[in-house]
Amino acid sequence: MSFDWKTYQPLLIPNIPGLADIKVYEQHGGYVQYKKVLGDQTTWTPEAVTNEVKSSGLRGRGGAGFNTGLKWSFMPKPDGGPRYIAANGDESEPGTFKDRTIFEFNPHSFIEGALIAAYAMRITAVYVYIRGEYRSWIRMMEKAIADAYAAGHIGKNIHGSGFSTDMYVHSGAGAYICGEESSLMESLEGKRGYPRVKPPFPAQRGLWGRPTTINNIETLANVPLILRIGAEAYSQIGAKTHPGPLLYGISGHVNKPGVYEFPSGMPIETLIHEVCGGVKGGKKVKAVIPGGSSTPPLRGDQLAGVCMDSDSLRTAGSMLGTAGMVVMDEDTDLVDVLTRIAHFYHHESCGQCTPCREGTGWLEKTLKKIRRGDGTPRDLELLLDICTQMEGRTICALADAAAWPVRYTITRFREDFEARVKTPVHAHA
Amino acid sequence: MAEIFIDNKRFEYDQPTKVLQFILDQGLDLPHFCYHPALSIPANCRQCYVEAGLPVFDREKNAYELDANGDRVIRWFPKLQTACSLDATDGMVIKTHVTSELVRRGQKDVLEFILINHPLDCPICDQAGECPLQEQTYKYGPEGSRFEHKKVHKPKRIQLGPRVVLDAERCINCTRCVRFTQEISKTHQLTIVQRGDNNYPMTAPGHVFDDPYSMNTVDICPVGALTASDFRFKARVWEMASTPSIDLTNGKGCSVDLWTRDNLVLRITPRFNPAVNGHWMPDSGRAAFATLNHDRVDKPLVRLDGEAIPTSWNNALLTFTERVTAANRIAVVGSPHASTEDNYVFKRFFEAAGKGAAVFVPHVIPGSGDGFLLSDDQAPNATGARLLGLAETQAAALAAEVTAADLVVVLNDDLVGRGVLRAEDLAGKTITFASNHNATTAAADLVVPVTNGAEHVGTYVNVDGRAQRTIPAKETSRTDRRLNLEMSSGRLDTFGTRFDNWVSDLNRIDCVPAWEFLTEASQELGTGLYYESARDVLAEIAARIDAFAGISYERMDDERGIALLATNETVSA
Ligand SMILES: Cc1cc2nc3c(=O)[nH]c(=O)nc-3n(C[C@H](O)[C@H](O)[C@H](O)COP(=O)(O)O)c2cc1C
Ligand code: SF4
Ligand code: SF4
Ligand code: FES
Repeated sequence: MSFDWKTYQPLLIPNIPGLADIKVYEQHGGYVQYKKVLGDQTTWTPEAVTNEVKSSGLRGRGGAGFNTGLKWSFMPKPDGGPRYIAANGDESEPGTFKDRTIFEFNPHSFIEGALIAAYAMRITAVYVYIRGEYRSWIRMMEKAIADAYAAGHIGKNIHGSGFSTDMYVHSGAGAYICGEESSLMESLEGKRGYPRVKPPFPAQRGLWGRPTTINNIETLANVPLILRIGAEAYSQIGAKTHPGPLLYGISGHVNKPGVYEFPSGMPIETLIHEVCGGVKGGKKVKAVIPGGSSTPPLRGDQLAGVCMDSDSLRTAGSMLGTAGMVVMDEDTDLVDVLTRIAHFYHHESCGQCTPCREGTGWLEKTLKKIRRGDGTPRDLELLLDICTQMEGRTICALADAAAWPVRYTITRFREDFEARVKTPVHAHA
Repeated sequence: MAEIFIDNKRFEYDQPTKVLQFILDQGLDLPHFCYHPALSIPANCRQCYVEAGLPVFDREKNAYELDANGDRVIRWFPKLQTACSLDATDGMVIKTHVTSELVRRGQKDVLEFILINHPLDCPICDQAGECPLQEQTYKYGPEGSRFEHKKVHKPKRIQLGPRVVLDAERCINCTRCVRFTQEISKTHQLTIVQRGDNNYPMTAPGHVFDDPYSMNTVDICPVGALTASDFRFKARVWEMASTPSIDLTNGKGCSVDLWTRDNLVLRITPRFNPAVNGHWMPDSGRAAFATLNHDRVDKPLVRLDGEAIPTSWNNALLTFTERVTAANRIAVVGSPHASTEDNYVFKRFFEAAGKGAAVFVPHVIPGSGDGFLLSDDQAPNATGARLLGLAETQAAALAAEVTAADLVVVLNDDLVGRGVLRAEDLAGKTITFASNHNATTAAADLVVPVTNGAEHVGTYVNVDGRAQRTIPAKETSRTDRRLNLEMSSGRLDTFGTRFDNWVSDLNRIDCVPAWEFLTEASQELGTGLYYESARDVLAEIAARIDAFAGISYERMDDERGIALLATNETVSA
């Protein structure tokens, strides 16, 4: 990429002090796009807004990368009853911590985006679901929403436009699974966070049986930008098939971990060695998890030319996910890493479906056995078998998310595992 | 008519259906746990996998696309599908374990997973022998387990409520019990607690599972996680015989199965009957198993100097006929608790003897019903008594009648116990037919032991006018299941010898159906009633009383009961 990251001017989290304050946000062009839409509803019909977002190529930032405008267009025609947006700020996947920066530094960009989305889909209420551990960010969002109500951006007949909608914050209670869109809805309804069987899809039967769209926080924060610069210009930012600015949450053995905003499609090596100031202690990169713990890890010696966009990562054998990148240096033992990841998924499986409930525990127990030094080569084959028995066989994608890291860590870093397992006695004979 | 292909065979359907239900309706097998036809579909056990595909439709040609062999081109779903949640669509192609190696793998894999944390304590588990997990593992499961770790431990022997015990380790998390309390009994008393492989069903803290329908969860639990407090460890299922019958503790008349061993009813479970109770029954009806066995009148009793003395059947018959002959005015009290056959012969007996018309007192507790499977009417056959023409009377009128009479004959109804009469009203002038000792038998001069619904064939007409019948499940000292082909036989009934446990005559009660005793009495008196069997009695009822025209035991069996009243019609006296 001939792009100079050093001169990039952030668009989602611009460098403006105090932007979280509604006044500062408004001074810098905040809520202008929203008012533009509400003020000229003949040009900006809901369909026109949806089409604009669709043609911008914006893809969901929550992990699955679905075209956002297309998702909006699945909502049925209004029938007078309530319709909802559930904005997904559960952000619980290990390695992912980017929505937090929006809550903290630019909450109104999200609120404005959510309101434009609400207009485009004739939404009557937006629920902002934030992970419970984000105590202080929940408070920040509550304040921001209260300010937006006070400024007349939310409520009845907003700015005399005839459009009304409400917005509420809902705090999670510490379950990763509640970030999955259908269990998020169950949780919002006050039920146990069990993912729902699909179909029906949320656009048909969502919250309280009503049409609902679930979008990630960062996804919605992109919407005012699209309207400001236009779909065409937006689609030129970053990678063609996955355009737009992206919040890269980079952690692990790098000198300067953190959340960085750049266009999508940044080369992984640029992010590690330039943006993050290289690996601590000048060591070599052994492994990189590109997009949250569920995405398959890449080997450090396979990173040349691999970029953070869906196509490039697919070719390299992984996924963009949430762009929450974890960098591991040459001293990292992947058995340790994988055992910890397996523990996470075992702990977080909702336990509804058999393969995930039982498989996640079995994976963790077997990995612990290998880590203790009691494993045998057969255990490695067993682990891969368990993955096969889980993948694609469950209600939600958590089982896949649990199996993929196991499958790809074992196949790509087999030497770490073989070093730990006991060689059978007869092999010496 | 839409078509669907299952394992290369073509089937037709016209109503929207899920693939699993359709497969089961065809009498085919597909392993499953969480699916229950009366509950919502969570598709959580993942046992009912199939491969599914749809034919490719060519819109331009308006026809299915065909391959080189002229067969339809099928687009297969990329993943295994759960048949329970899959809607059948026209032209759909399904492969089950019969034709698909992938499905066989999938079924094995899920069973292997279910079993890794299952305690495998079948030898001491009540469910063994009627356990879907056991059966499906046997048929579709893996040969062994590759799990070499410690199993997850969870609470055991948890008394969830007064009637249901939980062993959380056996639970396979199908959520049937939870959904039952949410969707059927609507008490919402159960939920799943914990997460992942620690999950198990529980009540909210401080609450007990006292749902009046709680024991249905024991029936639908596909493993031995939920057991009934009053049945735990009492019997292995293969030792028992099950006999179709009905619940006689309420006017609703739920269809049930009576489970017997050595002529004791050990448990009562609901039998599917869409016209009456669906899959369910109230807990109160199940508790009746004890009264069917215990505290029975098992010898005729005469009162001498205030004391009830067992006597011979001969003496009972003579006493009965003498008292009836001697009496000038008899209060003839039929019973909403007795069968139609008994009430009919009872009424006929006194008409033939020229000794008065039979009445009965309905046993209704207003407000006690729940609009579901419990009606206000506590008796199984008030409608039958009405349709037979017994006059309906109430407590005060009956008390006056009893005072004026010099003999009271009561057909198996605890009038004193349920507050219709006082013991003093009856003292010195009462004969009662009774199955159990109660306050009325304590006041009677002569007690004739009669069979209950577990011992006789009898027709009962429920509150909605539906005639259903009982089939004997327990032998009396005068019946024998080897001779009565209608009675069911368990393994021990058929193959047991005197040297086996649970093969004895201990629990055979010396009693007869009331109609049989009354027939003998009529012979004695020469009043001309003669019936060989309950079937004879019913044939006469069907022939003589319009409301019962066309009724027969065969029809009641085949049609799961017969509606005698047009919808919304009620009979009054
Ligand atoms: C187990 C699991 C956890 C998830 N957690 C999150 C989450 O924390 N935040 C999020 O935005 N999406 C999460 N997702 C993805 C959501 O289901 C959903 O795809 C997303 O919120 C849609 O928003 P988007 O289209 O804007 O990306 C999760 C998915 C799964 C299967
Ligand atoms: S895959 Fe796992 S987390 Fe998802 S519904 Fe099934 S058990 Fe729950
Ligand atoms: S207790 Fe039984 S019915 Fe309830 S969830 Fe467990 S296995 Fe299913
Ligand atoms: S029966 Fe449980 S998933 Fe279909």
